[in-house]
Amino acid sequence: MFLQTLITGLSIGGIYALMAVGYSLVFSVLNFSNFAHGAVIMLGAYVGLALATKFSLGLGLVIAGSVAGAGIIAVLNERLAYSSLRRRKAPSLYLMISAMGCAVFLENMVYATIGSRFYAFPEFFGRQIINLWGSSVSLLDMGAFLFALAAILGLHLFISRTRTGIAIRAGVSDMTMCSLMGVDLDRLIAVVFLLAGAFAGVAGVFLGIKYLVYPTMGWVTNKAYIAAVIGGLGSLPGALAGGLILGVVETFVSTYVSSVLRDVFSFTLLIAFLVLRPNGLLGRDGEEKV
Amino acid sequence: MSEAQTLLSVSGLTKDFGGIRAVDSFSFDVREGSITGIIGPNGAGKTTVFNLVTGLYKPTSGTIRFLGEEIGGRRPDTIVRHGIARTFQNIRLFNRRTCLENVLTPLLQRERCGFLGAMLGLPSVRRMERALHDKAHSLLAALGLDAYASFEASTLPYGLQRKLEIARALATEPSLLLLDEPAAGMNPEETHSLANLIAEVREKFNVTILLIEHHMDLVMNICSPIVVMNFGALLATGTPEAVRENPEVVKAYLGERKEKR
Amino acid sequence: MDYILSIVILAGINMIAVLGLSIFTGFTGLFSLGHAAFVAVGAYTSAILTYYYYVDYYLALAAGAAAAGIVSLIIGVPTLRAKLRSDYFAIAVLGFGEALRVLLENLEITNGARGLPGIDNFTTLPIVFVCLAGGIFVARNFLRSRWGAACIAIREDPIAAETAGVRLFRTRLLSLVVSAVYCGLSGGLLAHFLSFIQPQMFTLVQSTQLLAAVIAGGMGSISGPLIASFVFIALPEALRVAQMWRLVAYGLLLVLIMVYRPQGLMGYSEITSFFRRKSGAEWRRPS
Repeated sequence: MFLQTLITGLSIGGIYALMAVGYSLVFSVLNFSNFAHGAVIMLGAYVGLALATKFSLGLGLVIAGSVAGAGIIAVLNERLAYSSLRRRKAPSLYLMISAMGCAVFLENMVYATIGSRFYAFPEFFGRQIINLWGSSVSLLDMGAFLFALAAILGLHLFISRTRTGIAIRAGVSDMTMCSLMGVDLDRLIAVVFLLAGAFAGVAGVFLGIKYLVYPTMGWVTNKAYIAAVIGGLGSLPGALAGGLILGVVETFVSTYVSSVLRDVFSFTLLIAFLVLRPNGLLGRDGEEKV
Repeated sequence: MSEAQTLLSVSGLTKDFGGIRAVDSFSFDVREGSITGIIGPNGAGKTTVFNLVTGLYKPTSGTIRFLGEEIGGRRPDTIVRHGIARTFQNIRLFNRRTCLENVLTPLLQRERCGFLGAMLGLPSVRRMERALHDKAHSLLAALGLDAYASFEASTLPYGLQRKLEIARALATEPSLLLLDEPAAGMNPEETHSLANLIAEVREKFNVTILLIEHHMDLVMNICSPIVVMNFGALLATGTPEAVRENPEVVKAYLGERKEKR
Repeated sequence: MDYILSIVILAGINMIAVLGLSIFTGFTGLFSLGHAAFVAVGAYTSAILTYYYYVDYYLALAAGAAAAGIVSLIIGVPTLRAKLRSDYFAIAVLGFGEALRVLLENLEITNGARGLPGIDNFTTLPIVFVCLAGGIFVARNFLRSRWGAACIAIREDPIAAETAGVRLFRTRLLSLVVSAVYCGLSGGLLAHFLSFIQPQMFTLVQSTQLLAAVIAGGMGSISGPLIASFVFIALPEALRVAQMWRLVAYGLLLVLIMVYRPQGLMGYSEITSFFRRKSGAEWRRPS
């Protein structure tokens, strides 16, 4: 029972981690909370759904398609809703309001046009169960978890090894200096959002396969924000750790205490972290330079 | 002649930011009634010292004593209540508020006032508000800003904005006033009248002044003693003449001969 | 006629909540997309008191408002501390909204997701009017007081505010509690007007409407958000616009305002200043 709960927790944790990474990435570079992230996840799911049902594509292409689609949507989102604010050095309050506006707009556009019906992905993983040390885990959960690990590892390699990745890390430290060193800030930020969108797309597809696709599914991203705070805002390994921990702990509460109180519990966990350890597990302690 | 007491005593002050040591075992004293100047090349750690004294940063080690009491690591608003006020290198005004409101805000914070009474708009509260308005006006007038009382702070010309920041700092009724590069961006004429203003402020408001500056004419003119910083540490301290002739100082700073910022 | 009356009452009730959020977001500069939760607390508290315990209506209203204020401390105390970014509060209040909804849907006394019907219809136009007028009066006094000046200072520049003697944490907390009390009062009035409340009535949708009114009306203004709030209630009714399209419009409006005209309709000034010319002095420039 314990192992089973752990495994289930890890698999949902993997999806939380995927969601949290995109959010943390934007936060670490641009220092603001992109509350529209949930909407991009939702749109990624819908794109994947369209590819899977209308064009009957296989899982690999569906993921690729939603990665591309969500990535583009994220870049457009930045261009239209954030870039002029960023250039004006508007306070983060304005950016958060704009982000929320995007989220509400996109979600309700989908609601109004496509409708509130819940859609299901085709059975990509079948009903196959794997047996792991006496516990059973579905192929989907296994796949989601492994994919999350692989994707985040890939991102880590990208950021530490490639030129663009190094530019991103430079941007995290000092945006202005970065541009003074000749980095094209607009392009760099576009890349960051592209990456964040890509992760959102994948997360959306897995969420959609595991549960269902519907306009307000993006609000599950709340969990992503909580995971990011637990892991430490702005830290990518933190997003992974936070996501997994939240997933596991939530599932344990759900199984051993009460499944209904799951959301109350995540909120309490968030508050506990904010009281005891606001920088999360791996976050950086930022003292604002005056 | 009574011995002027030590108002501020900084001892072994150190501040690390990650791997960078911005302030290194820095010690100096500020005598009551003086106009003390801190100079040093860019990046020497001068503003960091200000930030440590006013509570914006926590010291990594060392002590900061004000009137005998340890204030290192306390909250900024607590330190303000102890009697230390400051202005900022990059002016930080309440931009969308009027000049009067900028000065009124600290005055209001100092008032003991009942919450309920204020919410109900009782006559006693109204009286207190009027009295504070008058006080704010006279503070603005003392710095020659009363004509701009109802102007939005951001609409003021640069020089007047700096004066407004000083007025707001004075509204907290400090014993020690920290001025961070008050003459930045000023021409020689403006710098000269600023020097007069600072001397006037010290007289009228009975306040000790500690300032950071790059304008050598201002510093040499009105400050004594002068504290020289370099690489976060104390390089020299003494009268303007002594500092001017100190070979270390000449080598590290004055020798660069950068006339104006 | 009855229909118009009910629209006016609903608008009035909404304006009270908007006034509360305006204090928190418009005057203190803190972001919240969860104030509907405080409306819910006020609504349920007062409704339970009158429905199960036959408490006097006005007492129940006050209790609802007070409950909302107390509950806001649960989110406020951990997240509004001086060193923490406003993002933490935003995330926490969103999480709180979810947690509250789960609780409301699962407690016996709240009758769960089915909602609480049969609440006495105590709210009348005069009562709403008095509450709104009183709310505006108190808000104006608050903003003139040392606490209001502190809030606005925090909005303008938190670091400079501290240098002016403002206690960051206490002031943010006070701003939150005051705004929550306003929302709680609004909730109590709402419950006893609609005679029926359900957890689904207090979600992100309502929080978005509140925020949209504050932003469109203008941050730093009392009259602006009140006007916007009235328009947001009255106009869609007049045009028979469906709920989801209203939200599409709100979302788009928020983005457009932030990008093109962040001060909204009346940013940082009041409608009364259009009717008064200050002798000799310059106009206040909107920013």
